[in-house]
Amino acid sequence: MMLMLILSLSVLVAASVLLILSRDTLRLVVGLAMLGGAANLMVFLAGRPGSVLPPIIAAGAETLPAAANPLPQALVLTAIVIGFALLCFALVLIANLARQDARQDSDALRANEPVATDPIKPPVMEP
Amino acid sequence: MTADHPHAHAEGPNYLWAALLPLTAFLALVWGINQHALPWHLTLDWAPSLGLAATFRVDGLAAQMLALITGIGALVFIYASGYLAHEPRSGRLFGMLLLFMLAMIGAVTADNLILLFLFWELTSLTSFLLVGWKHEDAQARAAARQALLITLGGGLALLGGLILLAQIAGVWTLSGIVAAGPSLHADPRLSAALVLIMLGAFTKSAQFPFHFWLPNAMSAPTPVSAYLHSATLVKLGVYLLARLDPAFNDLPLWEFSLVGIGTLTAVWAAVLALRERDLKRILAFTTLSALGTLVLLVGLPSPGAGLAVAAFMFAHAMYKAPLFMVAGNIDHATGTRNIDRLMGLRRLMPWTAAVAVLAGLSMAGLPMSFGFVAKDVIASAKAESEVLALISYATVLVNATAVAVAGVAAVRVFWGPPEAPPGHVHEVPWSMRLPPLLLVLVALEFEFLPNLADPLLVAAAQSISPGLGAMQAATTYSFEGTLTALEITLGIGLLLFLAWDRLHALLHRVHWLDRFGPAAGYEYLLHAIPRLAAWQTRHLQTGRLSHYLRQTLAALLLMGAGLAVLSSATPRFDWPALLAWPPIAWAWALACLLILTGAVSALFLRQRIAVLMASGLIGYGSAVLFLFTGAPDLAFTQFAVETVLVVIAASVLPYLPAAKALPRPGKSLDYILAVAAGVATFMLLLHLAGMPENTELAAWFAAHSLPEAHGRNVVNVIIVDFRAFDTLGEIAVLAFSLLAALPLLAGLRRQRAMSSGS
Amino acid sequence: MKSGSVLLERAAPLLYWAMLIIALAILLRGHNEPGGGFIGGLVAVAASALLAIILDPAAALRRQPLAPLRLAMAGVGLTLLSGLPAVFLGLPYLTHLWSGGWSTVLLFDLGVFCAVWGTLTGYLYPLLEADPR
Repeated sequence: MMLMLILSLSVLVAASVLLILSRDTLRLVVGLAMLGGAANLMVFLAGRPGSVLPPIIAAGAETLPAAANPLPQALVLTAIVIGFALLCFALVLIANLARQDARQDSDALRANEPVATDPIKPPVMEP
Repeated sequence: MTADHPHAHAEGPNYLWAALLPLTAFLALVWGINQHALPWHLTLDWAPSLGLAATFRVDGLAAQMLALITGIGALVFIYASGYLAHEPRSGRLFGMLLLFMLAMIGAVTADNLILLFLFWELTSLTSFLLVGWKHEDAQARAAARQALLITLGGGLALLGGLILLAQIAGVWTLSGIVAAGPSLHADPRLSAALVLIMLGAFTKSAQFPFHFWLPNAMSAPTPVSAYLHSATLVKLGVYLLARLDPAFNDLPLWEFSLVGIGTLTAVWAAVLALRERDLKRILAFTTLSALGTLVLLVGLPSPGAGLAVAAFMFAHAMYKAPLFMVAGNIDHATGTRNIDRLMGLRRLMPWTAAVAVLAGLSMAGLPMSFGFVAKDVIASAKAESEVLALISYATVLVNATAVAVAGVAAVRVFWGPPEAPPGHVHEVPWSMRLPPLLLVLVALEFEFLPNLADPLLVAAAQSISPGLGAMQAATTYSFEGTLTALEITLGIGLLLFLAWDRLHALLHRVHWLDRFGPAAGYEYLLHAIPRLAAWQTRHLQTGRLSHYLRQTLAALLLMGAGLAVLSSATPRFDWPALLAWPPIAWAWALACLLILTGAVSALFLRQRIAVLMASGLIGYGSAVLFLFTGAPDLAFTQFAVETVLVVIAASVLPYLPAAKALPRPGKSLDYILAVAAGVATFMLLLHLAGMPENTELAAWFAAHSLPEAHGRNVVNVIIVDFRAFDTLGEIAVLAFSLLAALPLLAGLRRQRAMSSGS
Repeated sequence: MKSGSVLLERAAPLLYWAMLIIALAILLRGHNEPGGGFIGGLVAVAASALLAIILDPAAALRRQPLAPLRLAMAGVGLTLLSGLPAVFLGLPYLTHLWSGGWSTVLLFDLGVFCAVWGTLTGYLYPLLEADPR
């Protein structure tokens, strides 16, 4: 079953990369979010999920019996929230970009790139 | 700005008192040598935890360098107070000269290799500031930059060489390396270390093909040239070579490199001197020639060579510094250094003329001068070590050029009829007359009373050639054969002097020297670097996000592949664990299904809202997995996030352009990268699953959670207690992301107001 | 953005307060049971989102102790403060102190709660204010 999960994660990473490399800004943002999700799952996998017992010390006990590894959970939990905030920020950002250029093409985002006559820097891409 | 008028007749501040500092140091040195036997040691704790100690050591060679640095330093400071009397910014120059002097003192006394390197680089830096002192002058700036780039580049090589040498020898002190001596020869890394060290020394002492920075550095003020470019800075490379010579002088690599490069530099500079008309640059080329001779002498294996190095280094400083001051006086008085426009200055500047003659005699190596003693010692050193005939002939040419240049500096510009007598020319103030005069008189005294200079020279020679006995050194002043050789040299030198203008015209026409010399190579390189930068900028920094992402991803994958190959760790695939059925396997299957569906449909759905929702499936898949693998906190968090995402996505999408089907994603190259990334992930995770699990941390948290942090939910305890600082940082990032998004949100609000208004 | 359903509009505030109480309960019990500041904060965000969709963002804003950015910053400030008492006792910063059932950990987790709630509602409200088209 672990093999199955690893395969799914590999497909997820490949799909995220393809989305990131496509020039549509929404796909780019979604791809980044998916890559973040994949990274979270990888960290979780590094903790060797297997036990169904949550890492919560039972009443009366002093320590954990065989329970899930708590450390990756703590790392992933904060990462999920931060990743979500990043996704919100990116969505607001591309919504703003849509005001300037309705094409939503990441290669067309050249407001801060040098002018065509610059002797060193690259010329402006043809629209 | 008064700085634009260096000769404005406003009196600048007088810094004559600054000469007291080097003078005190000089007197202390003389007193110390009389009171305490060399060598002296000083060890200070530097970084004891690293086993580093700042060790200083003063032996004969270091003492000789110190005498030159402080003695000539005192005279140069006096000279500079006159030379810069009308210069309002002279305070800065004195400050930098002082800093340079301290750096030189540090460099010649440091025994620790790192300390030596630090002082070595400090001399390069202060020399850069001094050469570029007239920073309004583009030529001075270029010369300063050239000197800096070449000497710092060499300094880097030196650092590598010193570190390598220390690793081979196992000690970090020069004295330790010299003591280890021939026992190091067997190490195969030694050649690389020595080549790097020689590179450092050759750039510092301006050896071919790095020689050209020295003549260009003549755009420095004359006191700087007299101090740095004749007596001290440029001798530092020779000093280091001489310092290491006892350990390596019987290595063919060492001997042949020093003798070969030294001879080549000496001859090449002698020829180039004939192409110059600027008196100061002519002197600079003969300095190069002398430096080449010194390197050649260091390379000679005989014990007498040590004495020759010590004597010639001393003699050269004693005549070249005064000659630079003479050139400075002439420049100061007439406003030119071009030898075509200088004639018959004898009557107008009698003191300067006298100095020029005395220093010129020494430079030509005529009897009754200290230069004669030095030439004599050099001749016996060469006789001892059976040099090739070719090198002997080269030496004659070099010495003959020295004679001719001495003639130019001492005779040509002072004798003859005054050409168009410039009315305002007058002798320079005493502060500019006294220092060179004192130097030549001291040199003269050493010639008549060799006992005064002998102890210092012999001590220095013994540092370079430990095999040299005191008696042997004392009897080396033999004069046999020197006179015959002198006659030949003088004869050729006289011919060169008389034919100077014709030779100059001849050499001046040889244009390929300018086009293909090392200096041209430097210029080419200097311009090639920005060209290369422009080329690679144009090709790598295309200004397209997709290109950057592809480059970054490809580089990451290549690095990962490289690491995998280099680490040569055999992958460990734990197949039983990979294929085992976990408890509640259907939840795993559901999670995989959701993730796969989400990934594939996010890729191929053509509507924006659908793409966003499909990515949500991945979150739900993760949440299912978390829920059934003992991570309820994660599951709840993920569910909550996905729920809020639906709201956010629904409210953002109206701002995006009207629904138009998205194109098929990606080009073929993108598919290759994506598949590579997927395969890399697959291999990485398989390997990860096969590695033995380290449960140390998990066990620690489980054991300490309740007793120390009073919490039963270990995940929460980690977040708010054990790793609270991390969490603090994370929520700060969260809050500041909103701060950053505020202007963007305001932009959306404006857009809405506009569209609802219209 | 009114939903149009009178029943829903009447029920929304009740639902909001109920969810907020649940969120606070999740926060409080988080140290010993599943839950904590992050999850509690997210539930609170869901409550606010509900109210903002059914009524309007202004209504949700009125029922929040502080405006979003201030709430988020106050949350960060609370976590920063929760580490200070230890410093006065000569312990390392962010060493949590306990006294009976109360602790600086609770203050810290409350800070996390507020930061999450404030930040995400800060994104939500402006986006939900009105449809751009």
